[in-house]
Amino acid sequence: MLEIKNLHAKVEGEDIEILKGVNLKVNAGEIHAIMGPNGSGKSTLSKVVSGHPEYEITEGEILFEGEDITEMDADERAHLGLFLAFQYPVEVPGITNKTLLREAYNTIARANDRDELDPLEFEDYITSKLEVIEMKDEFLERSINTGFSGGEKKKNEIFQMAVLDPKLSFLDETDSGLDIDALKVVSDGVNKIASEENAIVMITHYQRLLNYIKPDHVHVMMAGRIIKSGDIKLAEELEANGYDQLEKELLLNGEAQ
Amino acid sequence: MSEVLQKETMLSYIEGAIESSSDAEAIKSINERGLKALNNTAFPTRKDEEWRFVDLKSITKNQFVSLENANAAELGDISDHYLPEAMQSRLVFVNGVYNAELSAVEGLPANVIVGNIAEHADNDALKQHLGTITNYEDDVFAPLNDANFNDGTFIYVPKETVVETPIHILNVFTDADKAFYATPRLLYVGEMFSKSTIIEEHIGLANNVYLNVPVTEFKMFTGSNVHHARIQRDSKEASHVSRPIAQLDKNAEYHSYTICLGAKLFRNDPRVIQDAEEVDFTVDGLVLIDGEQIADTHSIMDHRFAHATSHQLHKVVVNDSAHSIFNGKIFVAKDAQKIDSFQENRNLLLSVDGKVNTKPQLEIFADDVRCSHGATIGQLQDEEVFYLQSRGLTEQKSRELLVYAFALESVESMAVESVEKLLLDEVIKYTNRDNK
Repeated sequence: MLEIKNLHAKVEGEDIEILKGVNLKVNAGEIHAIMGPNGSGKSTLSKVVSGHPEYEITEGEILFEGEDITEMDADERAHLGLFLAFQYPVEVPGITNKTLLREAYNTIARANDRDELDPLEFEDYITSKLEVIEMKDEFLERSINTGFSGGEKKKNEIFQMAVLDPKLSFLDETDSGLDIDALKVVSDGVNKIASEENAIVMITHYQRLLNYIKPDHVHVMMAGRIIKSGDIKLAEELEANGYDQLEKELLLNGEAQ
Repeated sequence: MSEVLQKETMLSYIEGAIESSSDAEAIKSINERGLKALNNTAFPTRKDEEWRFVDLKSITKNQFVSLENANAAELGDISDHYLPEAMQSRLVFVNGVYNAELSAVEGLPANVIVGNIAEHADNDALKQHLGTITNYEDDVFAPLNDANFNDGTFIYVPKETVVETPIHILNVFTDADKAFYATPRLLYVGEMFSKSTIIEEHIGLANNVYLNVPVTEFKMFTGSNVHHARIQRDSKEASHVSRPIAQLDKNAEYHSYTICLGAKLFRNDPRVIQDAEEVDFTVDGLVLIDGEQIADTHSIMDHRFAHATSHQLHKVVVNDSAHSIFNGKIFVAKDAQKIDSFQENRNLLLSVDGKVNTKPQLEIFADDVRCSHGATIGQLQDEEVFYLQSRGLTEQKSRELLVYAFALESVESMAVESVEKLLLDEVIKYTNRDNK
């Protein structure tokens, strides 16, 4: 579904490369976890894949279902079925969740020659998705993330994911700032959405999220590259030993390259 | 006086003489007062502090004629501009002249007066208050209105009368062969514990040059309450200089919301003057301008007695090479303790060439007051745009939605549903224009 080949990227207008040759392959039906210390480039990877204009790709390519999306704008990528759950969801006073999601849903439907939903149909559809994150109806009428608690913002991201039904979702530190109850609700939501047809890439600093959402593949990112991949055991090792051990290995590998 | 005579006056830009056309003493005396001030007051220049930032070329490059000499176009059907909530509570003025045929006030309580000033010139309340509230010093615009007006709106709401139906004052301006001046006038007298909603609209029906100089006076007695929405949709070639002023007695509430969409040059000097303790007032504004429009608001919130609550949220969106100016004065007199005043000017700059000048000006002589103020000038945040775009909205749509959201709060203060709807359409038109 997603294939990232030797991806290099930097902040537009700056010299320092943040991604230094990322390779990643994600198939339908898979859940991946990308772990790594602060500053390793894992959040940047999720933004670059979803088309954040702040970043410039200097080398490599991103293929989505075989199509090169490297030059596409964020909305075109969303139309293809990409989704990013933000680490820091943006507050937009004055626009309700429902207004945004109806506009988003119908824009994506139009782009894919699917039928749009009229306001009544959409009302039914969106209400049916509320149970994914155990929220009440009034959630729909609130301005996007405005005055939301940290937990509500993260739930809202997963709710939007449920409504837009993307093929591939990047969850950028969705677990950060969540207490254990909220973490359970959010994880349950993600597990309900996960299917054989879609794929999920979780970006996380901590292993605790992986107790609730079981990844098929775990990758460790450091200094702008994925330096090690494996299964859930890799995450357990990291939890036990920290990133220090791997950092040493990275240095050795770096010399070897 | 000889010094003044060497300078330009308002009359330098007026063709022909201005003469009082009224026999009524109440009107005639103000006409004469106005003419005298016009002759003796210099036209403002950039050297005057109150006019430092504003380019008055839209006025000074013209010679404005009286309506009689303008050869104004005949009025077409304007029923699209009627408000469904005010079908029987509407006055229509065409180029400043009262139109009885299109006006309808049958829907109002019998003891309420809503009519033409010229026809109520003998009314005691009118005689007592007309022209007594306006107090613009060294001004040339209020005097132009003073000198020229004959028709105008007179609203009298008696003691303890609540007018549920909104009152619609519809000023329309037609096309004409020559640039003309018009001087809409409004006097509102709210007796004790009266209450009403006024929608004052200015609509340019064509794209012609004219000078619209309205003066509105609100005399608010004890406990009276007014919601005053002002919507300026003049021709994009017109100049509009407004002088709206309210005088508040004890426990009075006056809430005004000015929406600026039209005119090439808009200058608005709202003033609220506290005449007794415990008043509550609002001087909100929303400005949406583009092209080469200039919108300049110079407001005064004059707290003269204790226990006032006042609120001013002035929101501005600037595109192209439009220019917004805001000068918000908050005065608090020495003995006016326990004032709670809020002022905020938020500017959204959508283009590189757009310009914003903003100056909160607080002059506080009391020590036990709470006056907060703030001014921000910003662009749409890239992170907001990206957030919406990542959900599938195009960049254009994302920006539109964010501008819409910025303006929405002000629109929702209108209190009349059809007005909110028409303003939302205007906001959409403003944000959509690049898509046409």
